[in-house]
Amino acid sequence: MESIFDFSVISDNFLQLLIGRYPHGPLGGLALTLILAFISVILSIFGGLILGLLCISRNKFISLPIIAIVNIVRAMPLLMVIFWMFFILPSITGGKIPENTTVICALSIFTSCYISQIVIAGIASIPRGQTEASISTGLTYWQSMRYIILPQGLRNMIPSFVNQFVSLIKDTSLGYIVGVSEITQVAMQINNRTQIHSAEIFIFLAFIYFIICFIFTSLSRWLEKSLSWKKVI
Amino acid sequence: MKLNRRFFLVALSTLTFLSFTKQSYADVTEIKKKGSIIVGVKDSLYPFGFVDEKTRRLQGYDIDFANEIGKKLGVKVELKAVTSANRIPLLSEENVDLLICTMTITPERAKEINFSYPYFISKQKFIVKKGSVKSLKDLDDKKIGTTKGSTSEKNAAAKLPNAKIISYDDYPQAYLAMQQEKVFAITTDESILAGILSRSIKKKDFELSSFDISKEPYGVGVNKKNPELLKIVNQTLLEMEKNGKANETFTKWFGPKSQVPLVRDFKIVP
Repeated sequence: MESIFDFSVISDNFLQLLIGRYPHGPLGGLALTLILAFISVILSIFGGLILGLLCISRNKFISLPIIAIVNIVRAMPLLMVIFWMFFILPSITGGKIPENTTVICALSIFTSCYISQIVIAGIASIPRGQTEASISTGLTYWQSMRYIILPQGLRNMIPSFVNQFVSLIKDTSLGYIVGVSEITQVAMQINNRTQIHSAEIFIFLAFIYFIICFIFTSLSRWLEKSLSWKKVI
Repeated sequence: MKLNRRFFLVALSTLTFLSFTKQSYADVTEIKKKGSIIVGVKDSLYPFGFVDEKTRRLQGYDIDFANEIGKKLGVKVELKAVTSANRIPLLSEENVDLLICTMTITPERAKEINFSYPYFISKQKFIVKKGSVKSLKDLDDKKIGTTKGSTSEKNAAAKLPNAKIISYDDYPQAYLAMQQEKVFAITTDESILAGILSRSIKKKDFELSSFDISKEPYGVGVNKKNPELLKIVNQTLLEMEKNGKANETFTKWFGPKSQVPLVRDFKIVP
């Protein structure tokens, strides 16, 4: 019996799925997806940490505006944030912003806002007595944050971070709206050209996303385990 | 109070900064000096603009026109993938110099950007059983299949008030419904219909209608600030028509041997 699926469409277009039109054109495909995801993850770890700490700042002039911004961004669909960045960024900087930068900015800002809430929760999970104890030993507020609270809090946050980053990896696919040719867009290109192999192409695409996310979650589980010996509470 | 004033000053200086930054634009001499022209094209629309399987380069009807305009200017063509949502802002913000991306010429868009003469005319037609339909009247009380939310749906409803329009998710589904005789005909842009028909196993039983219910002319988009470039684009298009290049390009992508065989019944005219 003949197979229902004809995966030759994948092998024929494999290189295009991996690197897009590179080197005759811009880098695309899986490589671009990974780059977008990697940079955005790194940026949003720091962004989220900073936003989270600012949100719980005792200075109301700092915390209130930041809380407002975080809540506004969290109330917007990511697709809109990307589109919005596409128009806002060039008018702020006055120059031409490449689409990849637009998507990285949008993803980082969007995810930072979510991460900030995780950070707040993580810090709240550490008993208040620890802050009080560390301050009474003579540490300043920021020192006790840096040496006592965050090292414990961050470890508790890892599972939620991973959750957020897994959805970030998948959200890179929304870059199509500004014409970024990451792997979903490349799959679309191939599907629109061949038209009769949609099932095969999108099964393969789902498989790729699964592999990326699975590797990522496995890594984080390993990280969690290797940090657990330090766990105090 | 002090804080408010500082905020106001910052806001004011940002605004003045913004209003001064958008001045330069690339006119024809600048494009020539730069040695390259940036053209916005589609990258996933066969056969207008798509990535070739073997070479992984952009190809298609639109890209051939872009190259011809580049040749006329004597500059390199840089292709940039655009989407329907971002193409006009990209042109107005001068991120691209030209748009050749299956863009229909409409009065609303013409307020924002300049259009060249039409270089392609897309017609909305029907797929029907061979020999069953002579004119639009034959379809008026029948069931017609199309896709949800498309302009084809609106056009069909306007032209065939008594017909029952049934909308499917995509065209292959609509075509399947037609083969199962759930609908009498299906309608959308002729290039899509020709593509469906040429890949179908039962293509001998069906045909494209000879009449159409709407015409959508595709034009090259040029920035309003750059009338000189528009003139060169139009000149190139007319020359291509005169020396047969335009016809050749059409045959290359829509000829009888292509995947979407169409008949060229238009000419590029002012």
